[in-house]
Amino acid sequence: MATVSLRHINKKYDNGFEAIHDLNLEIPDGELVVLVGPSGCGKSTSLRMVAGLESISGGDLYIGDTRVNDLEPAERDIAMVFQNYALYPHMSVFDNMAYGLKNRGVPRDQIKQKVDRAAATLEISHLLPNKPKQLSGGQRQRVAMGRAIVRNPKVFLFDEPLSNLDAKLRVQMRIEIKRLQQEFGTTSIYVTHDQVEAMTLADRLVVMNNGRVEQMGPPLELYERPETQFVASFLGSPGMNFMSARVDANCLHLPGGHQLEMGQAIDLTKLQQQELVLGLRPEHLEACEMPDADFVLQVEMVEPLGADTLLYGRLPGNEDLMVAEQSGKIRYERGTKVPLRVDRSSIHLFDKDSQRRIV
Amino acid sequence: MIENRPWLTAFRHLMLIFGIAVIGFPIWIALVAATHPSSAFFSGVMPLWFGEQGLNNFERVWNNDDRVLGVTVSASWMMWNSFIMAMVIAIGKITISLLSAYAIVYFRFPFRRTCFWMIFLTLMLPVEVRILPTYEVVARLGMLNSYAGLTIPLIASATATFLFRQFFLSIPSSLVEAARIDGAGPFKFFKDILLPLSVNNIAALFVILFIYGWNQYLWPLLITTDEDYYTIVMVIKRLMTAGEGNVPWNIIMTTTVLAMLPPVIVVILMQKFFVKGLIEQEK
Repeated sequence: MATVSLRHINKKYDNGFEAIHDLNLEIPDGELVVLVGPSGCGKSTSLRMVAGLESISGGDLYIGDTRVNDLEPAERDIAMVFQNYALYPHMSVFDNMAYGLKNRGVPRDQIKQKVDRAAATLEISHLLPNKPKQLSGGQRQRVAMGRAIVRNPKVFLFDEPLSNLDAKLRVQMRIEIKRLQQEFGTTSIYVTHDQVEAMTLADRLVVMNNGRVEQMGPPLELYERPETQFVASFLGSPGMNFMSARVDANCLHLPGGHQLEMGQAIDLTKLQQQELVLGLRPEHLEACEMPDADFVLQVEMVEPLGADTLLYGRLPGNEDLMVAEQSGKIRYERGTKVPLRVDRSSIHLFDKDSQRRIV
Repeated sequence: MIENRPWLTAFRHLMLIFGIAVIGFPIWIALVAATHPSSAFFSGVMPLWFGEQGLNNFERVWNNDDRVLGVTVSASWMMWNSFIMAMVIAIGKITISLLSAYAIVYFRFPFRRTCFWMIFLTLMLPVEVRILPTYEVVARLGMLNSYAGLTIPLIASATATFLFRQFFLSIPSSLVEAARIDGAGPFKFFKDILLPLSVNNIAALFVILFIYGWNQYLWPLLITTDEDYYTIVMVIKRLMTAGEGNVPWNIIMTTTVLAMLPPVIVVILMQKFFVKGLIEQEK
């Protein structure tokens, strides 16, 4: 049980490449923080610095009250779950889970007790004598989790642990990880590039890009009020629609001659004649009757997902492909024109140059 | 692959049979010749079927009765010398290569790449090339006529180091990291993780290196003058040149068959590992 704090953490490689710029993150005891971002954004590097597998070029890293910058991974009292499981192939499941305890000089009978208990929690007791190669992917991941929880460390670190599993198993293990983490109340850092995983698991979400934190906060807050265009585009599937817009009176002028009257919801008077980027989540584009429509989507492709239907298409005179998400009751045909209404209360406006949120 | 071309099939089989004959016939000759009395060869024609002298020949060679080998030591003793030499070379090479590959792959030290390339360069310097300087060194160290002299200069091995290096590189780095987090230091990691994972490679290399050591001819010939250190391979050649006129083919072939046995046994015992170590990678 411990807090983790990253203060002004920097990472610069020998070749001069700066992977992390001034990372600040305070993780209270028991919280699960998810680092999410595209590949190369520095999320894994950050995690590996916390683990001690990567040296820290600048700043301070505290686990509990101890500054751990210069401690070996084994001395930091952390446990890590790897993407490819990293189980020792020649050892049985029992030995895999016991190895860390053995190296720490835990007495034999206690090791057995602890491994048995951890195995029971994860429902892998029957697999203990097996070798990793006899196990399925999901079982291997459970063993990897077991190796982490058996030591009862201060911090769990997860490095894309579910990426090698198939979709169904991934959902199942996601719930399992959440359950275990809450049961043990262990402070955890979880790295993923999968935004659904990130949204569902996180107590707090940290979106990273190019070695910097773009925004952090509770997942829904980030989803509803993304501070930058990057966060807006990264969270949500299908992604947010963006188009350039120019303010005139209380009205947004879009390419192709479309207009969006703001009405009561938003006051644009301070932004006269500015060039902005309008962001619209697909689920906020609602099919409606012609007189209420803000614009008409020329449907080019339909993806029926069962519960929902995704409509891909363009507005007349506008190049950008647009997605609208509709509840699945109505059937749409390719080539039809669908009148759409924009939910005024949930539009996002970003500055064209800084890409930061305005409204 | 399913094909139906009878001529091609017949041709293939013919080639295979020919290949087997090329390799098998000399062995057959050796086995047959080892069972005849020396008188059987006076005519200059090699017999092609077994005689009755087999056991007798083996006994005489094994114990060196009547000094049939032309030296004071028995074949059994020379086999023992060969065995020691082959074992020390094989085990020594594997140990040194494991350690040097471990150092090169897992540790960051100055001139690491230089070290690797220097080891790699020695591939171009087998014993035969550096034999005179090596002899000089061994002689000055007073290691002529000793097991140390027979084995130590042959132990350093670039090939094995390179093989282990490639294998270590194929081990996922996350395994190393998991071990670090589990509190395994360099020695524990080597002993608990790396060594057990390398078992198949070690076994495969052992087979190759044992045979390499066993078959050494030039080096033992050069540095041993004391017959107590003669190896079985050396004495075969001596026998061929020793007798004036009548070459004792039955004795030579008996010795040859004896000399072939240990490598054959090693290959048969370890062929399972051998194949695994060369093709299969367990991860």
